[in-house]
Amino acid sequence: MKKYWKSVEELNENSSIVAKLEQNEFVSDIATDEFLGDKETLEESSTSRRDFLKYVGFSTAAASLAACEGPVRKAIPYVVKPDDIIPGVANYYATTIADGYDFANVLVKTREGRPILIKPNKEVNGTTNARVQASVLSLYDSSRLKAPKLNGNNLSWSDVDRQIKATLSELKASEEKIVILTGTLASPATSKLIKKFAKENGNVQHVQYDAISETASLDAYEEVYGKRVLPNYDFSKAETIVAIGADFLGDWQGGGFEKSYTSGRQVDTGKMSRHIQVEANMTLSGANADKRIVLKPSEQVFALINLYNAVTGENLPSKETTQDASIAKAAKQLKAAGSKGVVLTGIQDKNAQLIALALNKKLKSSILDTANVKYTRQGNDTDVQQLVADMNAGKIGALISFQTNPVYTLANSADFVSGLEKVKLSIAFASSEDETASIAQYALPTPHYLEAWGDAQIDAETYSLTQPTVNPLFDTKQFQDCLLSWSGSSESFYDFLKIFWNTSILGGTSWNQALHDGFYRSKARKLRGKSINTASAANALKSVTKSGDFELTLFASTAIGDGQQANNPWLQELPDPITRASWDNYLTISQADATSLGFENPVQDNGAINGSYANVTVNGTVLKEVPVLIQPGQAKGSLGLALGYGKTKAMKSEMKVGVNGYVLADGLKLTQIVSIENIGGTHKFACEQLQHTIAGRYEILKETSLEDYNNTNLDPKESWNQVTKVSLKHEEVSVNDVDLWDDHDRSIGHHFNLSIDLSDCTGCGACVVACHAENNVPVVGKHEVRVGRDMHWLRIDRYYSSELDATSEERAENVNTTSDAVSDYYALEVPAENPQVAFQPVMCQHCNHAPCETVCPVGATTHGRQGQNQMTYNRCVGTRYCANNCPYRVRRFNWFKYNENSEFDFNMNDDYGKMVLNPDVVVRSRGVMEKCSFCIQSTQAVILNAKKEGRKVAPGEFNNAVACTSACSTGALVFGDVNEEKEVIVEKKADKRMYRLLEAIGTDNNVLYQVKVRNTEEA
Amino acid sequence: MSSHYEAPIREPLVLGDKSYHDITVDIAKPIEGKANKNWYIAFTISLIAFLWGLGCITFTIGTGIGTWGLNKNIGWAWDITNFVWWVGIGHAGTLISAVLLLFRQRWRMAINRSSEAMTIFAVFQAGLFPIIHMGRPWDAYWVLPIPNQFGSLWVNFNSPLLWDVFAISTYLSVSLVFWWTGLLPDFAMLRDRAIKPFQKKIYALLSFGWSGRAKDWQRFEEVSLVLAGLATPLVLSVHTIVSMDFATSINPGWHSTIFPPYFVAGAIFSGFAMVQTLLGIMRKVTNLENYITRLHVEYMNMVIMLTGGIVAVAYASEFFIAWYTGSPYENFTYMSVGAATGPYGWAFWSLILFNILIPQLLWIRKFRRSFIASFIISIAINIGMWFERFDIIAIVLSKGHLPSTWTRFEPTFVDVGIFIGTIGFFGVLFLLYARTFPVIAQAEVKSIMKVSGENYKKLRDGNHE
Repeated sequence: MKKYWKSVEELNENSSIVAKLEQNEFVSDIATDEFLGDKETLEESSTSRRDFLKYVGFSTAAASLAACEGPVRKAIPYVVKPDDIIPGVANYYATTIADGYDFANVLVKTREGRPILIKPNKEVNGTTNARVQASVLSLYDSSRLKAPKLNGNNLSWSDVDRQIKATLSELKASEEKIVILTGTLASPATSKLIKKFAKENGNVQHVQYDAISETASLDAYEEVYGKRVLPNYDFSKAETIVAIGADFLGDWQGGGFEKSYTSGRQVDTGKMSRHIQVEANMTLSGANADKRIVLKPSEQVFALINLYNAVTGENLPSKETTQDASIAKAAKQLKAAGSKGVVLTGIQDKNAQLIALALNKKLKSSILDTANVKYTRQGNDTDVQQLVADMNAGKIGALISFQTNPVYTLANSADFVSGLEKVKLSIAFASSEDETASIAQYALPTPHYLEAWGDAQIDAETYSLTQPTVNPLFDTKQFQDCLLSWSGSSESFYDFLKIFWNTSILGGTSWNQALHDGFYRSKARKLRGKSINTASAANALKSVTKSGDFELTLFASTAIGDGQQANNPWLQELPDPITRASWDNYLTISQADATSLGFENPVQDNGAINGSYANVTVNGTVLKEVPVLIQPGQAKGSLGLALGYGKTKAMKSEMKVGVNGYVLADGLKLTQIVSIENIGGTHKFACEQLQHTIAGRYEILKETSLEDYNNTNLDPKESWNQVTKVSLKHEEVSVNDVDLWDDHDRSIGHHFNLSIDLSDCTGCGACVVACHAENNVPVVGKHEVRVGRDMHWLRIDRYYSSELDATSEERAENVNTTSDAVSDYYALEVPAENPQVAFQPVMCQHCNHAPCETVCPVGATTHGRQGQNQMTYNRCVGTRYCANNCPYRVRRFNWFKYNENSEFDFNMNDDYGKMVLNPDVVVRSRGVMEKCSFCIQSTQAVILNAKKEGRKVAPGEFNNAVACTSACSTGALVFGDVNEEKEVIVEKKADKRMYRLLEAIGTDNNVLYQVKVRNTEEA
Repeated sequence: MSSHYEAPIREPLVLGDKSYHDITVDIAKPIEGKANKNWYIAFTISLIAFLWGLGCITFTIGTGIGTWGLNKNIGWAWDITNFVWWVGIGHAGTLISAVLLLFRQRWRMAINRSSEAMTIFAVFQAGLFPIIHMGRPWDAYWVLPIPNQFGSLWVNFNSPLLWDVFAISTYLSVSLVFWWTGLLPDFAMLRDRAIKPFQKKIYALLSFGWSGRAKDWQRFEEVSLVLAGLATPLVLSVHTIVSMDFATSINPGWHSTIFPPYFVAGAIFSGFAMVQTLLGIMRKVTNLENYITRLHVEYMNMVIMLTGGIVAVAYASEFFIAWYTGSPYENFTYMSVGAATGPYGWAFWSLILFNILIPQLLWIRKFRRSFIASFIISIAINIGMWFERFDIIAIVLSKGHLPSTWTRFEPTFVDVGIFIGTIGFFGVLFLLYARTFPVIAQAEVKSIMKVSGENYKKLRDGNHE
């Protein structure tokens, strides 16, 4: 075998060098330590070169492994699938919201056990307002109280029960008074339970307290009819409605009247009620009224007496008002209407309410319903004030509060706080650690109504059930369960409720059926009232009523209501239907007063409006830095301020907006004589609409009078529903007859249309919130709304008339012509002092000839076979050309990443808040355009279901599937398939009131509007 | 080419006692010499502006278009304003090199190189905006009709934005080729003069092996003519198509059949103004007074007067038609009483002042032939034309069909930063160009020396004086 050798040395078999080389790489040691520097330190170090390499290797591997691991998203499948849950299929439960302010029968849509959408329960004529729609998000509010607390420290429920039971028995022994302070419960079972608790615990009193009180009305009704409830009103039969300071289309007496109101105003019957509104603030009712009479609160009182005198011919003591001529006309109309007339008043004085009741009795009003009375407000102001006094006098041993937050809502909240310190045991049941819960000894978390059992009697004939739709998210316990256990009972409230219903309400009918339906109907009897001493009432009123230079009317805003859900971003972002400002409350003031006090709302270069601040003083209480907004139609010398804002406890920082108007509600009265001082400063409003009038573009929002509508001599297409004419081959033809496009055949399959009746839209905003919930529309916050980047897919435009705007008859003739004078354009842009108001919901018009579709370079927006204009988010590159070319401006761009972004710390940046997202609708990424889709996820589900069941889609199914139409209480929005004869939409499309928005452009919209009709007939 | 005789009353196009070699030396000087302090100052400023703009672009792409001042009703403002402004500026180059070549205008020879460079650099800036104005610029390639794996996705040939993609890219490529063709003999000249081997290598590459044979020249002339023929329609098409971004839409004020010719005139107007601005500086800085003369300035001013006149008439007819329709929707178009008296009145009147009133000074011969006056007026036109695009976009979008959607626009620092950044980028490119490229088409200028050179004219026409 050959042998190769490297050097001669290898031939020497005994060479030590060769032997050493076999072991070592180098003959002699290499002085690495020396050349690396500090030899001593290196020798001392236990880390050798090899160790070092090991460490490097390990840490690199560890680092790269750590970096490789993606974020863990847990999707846990059901191990044992619950029988009633099929992933991907929604379940609906009928339940009832009764939070002390809003009462409604609702259907809850749940997906995989999570409630995600609220719909009105139409089987019971349920109506939902914006707050009820948004309540599902309040369930997922991460600032809810998550566990019971004693003086700020967490403790267990068993400790809570043990300690409180002990204290209660001590109090019972010493016969001290225990007060249960709640909002209006209207819950028969809870009332029974409180009685049981009282029996066990001795001296117990139940005090009900409404932050926005109807005590005057309740007291008056009790005096006349002997029952402390609110009368009901059925406006569907009304011919003349006179409302004095009563915003009955808002939250007056619990609200919910819009359905019966609009059903009395269906013009296709040829008849509609005449609605005369007397008010100081511009309210939803005033905006919808046929005639709006502007009077300060102090004058409203005399307007009521004068109206009474004019109708009855009596001569009660009164004073003249500035609008007596109009009041006289209203009286004449009321008299003509007879039993079909009704008078409402929101004046918070028992005597005023008595006069209104007396007047309705004189009219033999069939509108006022004494049988099906309402239980939605039961608070008693006297009891509340007595309680505060008793607490301070040390007469109260224990205070248990539930569904109420007096520390925030009481004007004399300081007295309440000092009184609470003297109470031995204070317990606050609360959903979040609000102002009251944070100072009570025990703060006990209550479940959201979607997690709880309960019942409610909204009106005398409807008993409603509340059932849980999700397992409790937090360690909560129902108030009722606690009362049961503190009464020494071991039964659960569910058992109690079921037994109570079976024995006292259902009268033998099925509990399961009632639970399935969510309600049970019974019958109530009409009451005959006592006679009313109107003279003494009027005398008392006259002596009590004072007027001032400025009279403030506090009100509950459409979005926030009494403030319970102020931490709900959907509601904060919902613009006020009248001012269209969101994320704020503000003092509304008339233009005349603003000018004399130096208030302005200058428009900034970025399109936002600013304002300055005022200090408002009531009886020495000063509310500082209230921003001021000029409100057309505000009575001169009057001011308005929304309640429910300015909350500070358990609120996300973004939601801490506005000022607390409750501090001005001295003696729980919502009208106050105030003084106001302009303190300057700059307030930044987030107002979505800057131009308040239609600017002479009458075909955008067509209006007519009932008289013209009923006039068969008028051809609508030539008069009040005129269509723009163009010249085709030298002949005048309607723009709808001219088309550049070849049409597809749209008669096959489904073709969707949406009709919006401008007469029926009261502007309540429920549809806007429903759209947010259904379509995962992001909330963008005050600043972004301010700079015009709100994301509402559906908005409700509000237009005021200007002094120059012609009456409806002249309008028809003037369509498309405006005066040449420049001064006229500007005059057309200024709202009138007491303008007429109209609402116009606008969403994507789903044009058959859509301008957006042609301009997209990548074809991200295209037309569907069913008439939808479809937006493919994944394909969108975000040129925004489609939005620029949309004449309706309904497209919304994702300017930023709105989800999982701490800059937008709303529900999409919150692990709980994200649970409300609809899994059927994608959450859009930054840089893409989005818009109304006609709820295509829901219409497709309807079609697929029908197909699976082998049947045709039933009429109305599509209407109930789409978020906005199903949320609409008045039926102003109707959706359906125009190729299905039985659908209501077919009639709507053929209606003589039908027109399309900006028809002249020729976009051939699938959204239809119905001309607004006003009953302008004066008596 | 053209005749070798020129009437003695015609002013010479090349001044001074220039020999052919003098021209070579004059043109090569800025390239072969060292840059002076002014160049460095200008370059530093441009670079800073460019980097600032780059920062703003990065911020936009990283955070979202929300960093700009746009809102739901005004989806474009400074972005597309800047786009159209830069595209418009890019129009002079091709007009000068192509149209004037076909018309045998000798005066173009002194200015065509730089105006074409300006064109190309301006189109770079313009091309930036359609990309960065997108919500998702990383998907910008979706506007190209590339076969893809996304399914049956294809671009939408109905969209004017897609036409833009083709128009701008065609324009850029044809302009670039045309420019480079003209550069070949000049690069070859630089190659031949270069002493440093590296420089020689580079210019050898850039000159594509130009040898100066008669055949080269023949082909050069032919290609120039063919390219001029190809480029001429582009002068009209590019801005026609840009104008269709507006004209094919349905916004009152945009939806206007007058837009294509009016935009083309406006583009040439602004392009020539920018040439005036740039050459006004360059002839001083690089000592080219003998090549870019009063006569050149006057000729360019005449083009400016013509196109400016067309633009003014277009404004007037837009204003008249808006009023004459009697449609309330036309009350607030960018040329309307509503615009003149509304919140954007300042922008409206800036447009009228800078674009219509100030250029009228050029009717006066003294101003027309004054370097200083031309420079100042050209700056005014540059501003005025920016306002024209801003007015068309922002005023129209701020008052849409539905009054409920009326709003306003305010730029953020990012909007401003990106615009300044593109000016900086343009400056950087142009300054680098001025140091490395022959800024005057010396080969072509040499071809007219005997006809229009002052000394030759004198020699020839001496007896007439």
